[in-house]
Order: sequence, then C-alpha cells, then structure tokens
Amino acid sequence: MVRGYGAGPCRSGVPAACLPADDYSLAMSELKIKGVTIVETFAEAFPMVGTRIIITAPSLEWALIAARTMTGFATSVIACGAEAGIERTLSPDETLDGRPGVAVLLFTMDSEKLQRQLRNRVGQCVLTSPGSACFAGLEGEKKLKLGASLRFFGDGWQMSKMVAGRRFWRIPVMDGEFLCEATTGLTKKAVGGGNLLVLGKSHAAVLAACERAVRAIDEVEGVITPFPGGIVRSGSKVGSKYKGQIASTNDAYCPTLKAAVNTELPLDVEAVMEIVIDGLTKESIAKAMRCGIHAIAEGGSAQGVTHITAGNYGGNLGPHHFHLKEIIA
Amino acid sequence: MSALSFELKGKPDQRLDLSPLVPSRLKDLKPKEIEAIPIGTTREKLAVGDAFKVKGKDASMLQFVGTDARCDKIGAELKDGEIVVDGDAGAYLGAGMKGGSIEVKGSAGVLAGASMVRGRITIAGDAGERAGGILVGETLGMRGGVIAIGGNAGPMVGERMRRGLVVVNGDAGDYAGGRMVAGTILFKRGVGRCAGFGLRRGSLIFLEQPKEILPTFGDCGVLEFDYLRLLERSFRDAGSAVRLGDRARRLMGDMSVLGKGEMLILA
Repeated sequence: MVRGYGAGPCRSGVPAACLPADDYSLAMSELKIKGVTIVETFAEAFPMVGTRIIITAPSLEWALIAARTMTGFATSVIACGAEAGIERTLSPDETLDGRPGVAVLLFTMDSEKLQRQLRNRVGQCVLTSPGSACFAGLEGEKKLKLGASLRFFGDGWQMSKMVAGRRFWRIPVMDGEFLCEATTGLTKKAVGGGNLLVLGKSHAAVLAACERAVRAIDEVEGVITPFPGGIVRSGSKVGSKYKGQIASTNDAYCPTLKAAVNTELPLDVEAVMEIVIDGLTKESIAKAMRCGIHAIAEGGSAQGVTHITAGNYGGNLGPHHFHLKEIIA
Repeated sequence: MSALSFELKGKPDQRLDLSPLVPSRLKDLKPKEIEAIPIGTTREKLAVGDAFKVKGKDASMLQFVGTDARCDKIGAELKDGEIVVDGDAGAYLGAGMKGGSIEVKGSAGVLAGASMVRGRITIAGDAGERAGGILVGETLGMRGGVIAIGGNAGPMVGERMRRGLVVVNGDAGDYAGGRMVAGTILFKRGVGRCAGFGLRRGSLIFLEQPKEILPTFGDCGVLEFDYLRLLERSFRDAGSAVRLGDRARRLMGDMSVLGKGEMLILA
C-alpha cells in the first residue's frame, strides 16, 4: 500500500476469502461496540513535518474560500506534494486582526518540501484572495518563511512591521494591502497516515458512518482529514502489474473482486471506505481515531456497518502504531 | 525579597550619572559595595551612599525615589530587570537599553530611550527632546522596543529611529519622526512643524489631523489597513486600549529622500 492514496490494511490478517458472513466473526476479534466489530489490528503511521497558518478575511466566507483554494489538490504527498486541510474556523476574537479566520494545517515529508508548498500555496491562493491576511498558527521548534518570501511580490514597496515582538509584512496589492506574518512555526513531531477502515452492508450505510466520523474528527484540535470530504474510497496497495504504476487498487478490499482475489471481506460486505488522518502530534491522531470509531459505531450494526479496522504494513515501516483496541479503551 | 531602592537624600549639587545602577551590575554586590559606586559627574567625588539611602535586596527590581531632572542615565544600557522611578528622570533615561522595563512616574529629560534596542520605557509625564532619538556616536536612533509617553514629547521624537514603537499621548514637538529610517510613532494629539522631515521609511500614525503637512508628502487617499487592526489588537493585549479603526488617509514621503515612509491620518 502507498499511504496518501488511501492506506489499506495489509494481508497479514486471517484470510477470510469466501467465508459465509456468519463465520467471518470467527476470523476477527470479538471486540464489539453496538454490534460493530472492532478488528484487533492497528493503524501504522509515519513521521511528517507540519505547520499551521491562520487565514483571515473580511468575512468567514472569504476566509474559507482562500483556505479551500489553498488546501485544494492536497490529499496525498505522493502526487500533490502536500497534505493539507482546514482544521477549524476562528471567530474574530481569536484572530490577530479581529476578523473571521480559518486555521489550516499543511504536512509534507520534509522541511524543504513544506517550505516550497507553503510559499506556493499561500502565494497563489491566499495572497490572491480578496481582503485576505495570513498569520502564523504555530510556535514550532523551527521557522518557515511565510511573508518573508512573499514580500518580494511587493517589488520594493513592501513594509516590514514589528508588532508585539512579531514581524509582519505589508505588501501592496490592488485591493489595498496583503498583511502577512514573516514566519510560521514548523513541527517535526507531526504524524501522517492515521486511518480507519469502515466495512458495511451497504454503500449508503458506510458513507453515512464515515460522514459522522469526519464530523467528530473535525472537533479534534490539531488534525485534518485531507481526502475529499475526509473520506477515501480508493485505498491502494503498493505496486501494480503495470510497469511504472507505483500504486494500484487494494483488490483485497474491493467488494467486486471477492471471488477472484485473496479477499479480506465477508460476502455480505458491499462497500469499504477509509478515513485518513494527519495530525500535529501522535496524541491528536489517537484522539481523532477514538472519536471517529465511536462516531462510526454510533448507529450500531443495525444501520449496516459491520466492521471497523485499520491499515498497516505489518508494523515494519511506520514507527507509530495505533492499536484500535487500546485507542477505544 | 523587597526591591532594591535608592531614595534621594536631598537635591544634589551636581548632575548624577546613575548608569552603574542596573540589575546586571548590582546583583552580586554587597550593600556597602553598592554605596561606594561613584555617580558624580564633576571633580567633586560623589558615591551612591552620599546621595541615596539604599534599602532592600532584590537587585532585579530597582526603585528610585524622589529623583529629579538632574538624575541622568537611569537604566542606561539596561539588559534585564525592572526599574521604577518614583519621581523625575534626567537625560538619557534608558538610553541604549537592550531589555527589561523602566517606569517613570514623573517626567524624563532629553534623549529618553535614545538608540535603545529592546525593552519598554513608560513615562507618565513629559519626555524631553529626541525621545527615542539618536545618541552621539551612533548611526541610528531607537532600534527596537517600546516607549510610551503619557504627556508631551519634545522636538525630534524618534529622530533617525530604525525600529520599534513610540506612543505619544500628549502633543509632540517640531520635527516629530525626523529622519526616521523605519519604525512606528503613534501621535494621539497634535504635532509641531515639519513632522516626518526626511522620513525614509516607517509609519507616523495620527489620531488627529496635523496642522501642517510638509509639501514633500504625497496623498494616496483614504484606504483600509488591516495593519491598524493588528496594532489596535496589540495595544488591547498590552492593556492600553486605543481606538484606531481600520481606515486612514495615507500620505507617502518624504519624497525629498527615499519617500517610502507614510503618514496614516485616521479617518
């Protein structure tokens, strides 16, 4: 599996190919919440570098437009260069300039890429957005250039201002000024690839459960779910039969291939969806996964969700292991 | 521990140089050693013990009581700690200071905070000429920190200032912000003649329309500035509410020099 395309569980679990639905529980742990089986496995996650910025605008709507534009096409580091998302919205009381704002998290695999992604995304999507301003959202052990690199757009007319010990750049633009803090913090303790896999008897049931989970995870500080609506329907495995294709569909979890491959799915499972979580700390990922599991299981098995499991690589690649059993304890 | 205090015994017959009385130099000294520190400025020798009653032990917090305008260089080159002046301060208050804070309950003489780098000076009364200005031998004036003047400021406040913030609650004299390189001065009331003379960069923010504006400043019209919101918030967080709003008339200048400075006259 390749993380970022939507990690799926490895095939090290008990093979359950073509087992009748009733017998499937024998191959899984018996741990259940409201009838939904919590598979005794773990999500395997990886170290990332991350940052947070605050975008403000004349209205929350415009702050969200800037934030959504900046975090667009940022589902996976594999092909997007970064994973990004909106952490939460901020009231005027919570922002430096007293306007509505949005907190955005951005993750990559190393500091250099993070700096490049930050500069390009803020430069092309926030600087360009009417009335926007951009501020640091993280103290961080190191600093990334924010306004310090975008200031050159001012072509010599930019002004530096120190306010309460923090440096800001005022860059003249056509609607007035783009106010941007010089730097933002970076953390090397970020974690990417926390995940949950949801199995169910109908597409609608799995989608509804995942939507509940994403809403619950949205309430957790310091995490994002970077995929569309927070949900991945195309979990992948590493490699392919085709040369040059680094990842391909996770056939063991494709319900339409149950009869042809070494499937991980019971016969009555109609759909599988995944929630990938990136966070500023491993603790925030664990909390988000716990909230997600409880939200998924909220409707119970009666609403069509059968199993909650997680994706891993056998524990050999990622240093962070989030065991579902420990997380819900 | 109580603050180390210096109470002036009587009006000194010479100006005093109080620059040795800073926390970093006093922290390891015994009371008798402190009383022996020379502070005279004439051929007539004068030590701390001759002019002041010394009490207390905590050298990180100094208090000057009953001082007057002849007590020069209070907190000059201050690096850290806190100084409270219960009286007036003479020339060079906090000049060249690099950290810490100074609070003056009376007024201060010339060159308060001149060429300071960091820290905060609060003057409840008036400040003399060239507050935040440039010390002899230096190339720049104030290079960081904050000076808050409760009363009026003398001429050439912020002369050749490079960074930092000066707030003048009363009136400011002539040539306010003269030859400024950068930084910010907030004028809550009137200013004298030739404000911003030789301004290269930096911001002069006026709550009241100045009576006279140099012809070398060009008008950009009334505009919205997020920076003013940010500044207002920083004042509020620091406990001194100032209503700035977000709209101001921007004048750029001084066009006779670099011309990248600004006057923001609140709308």
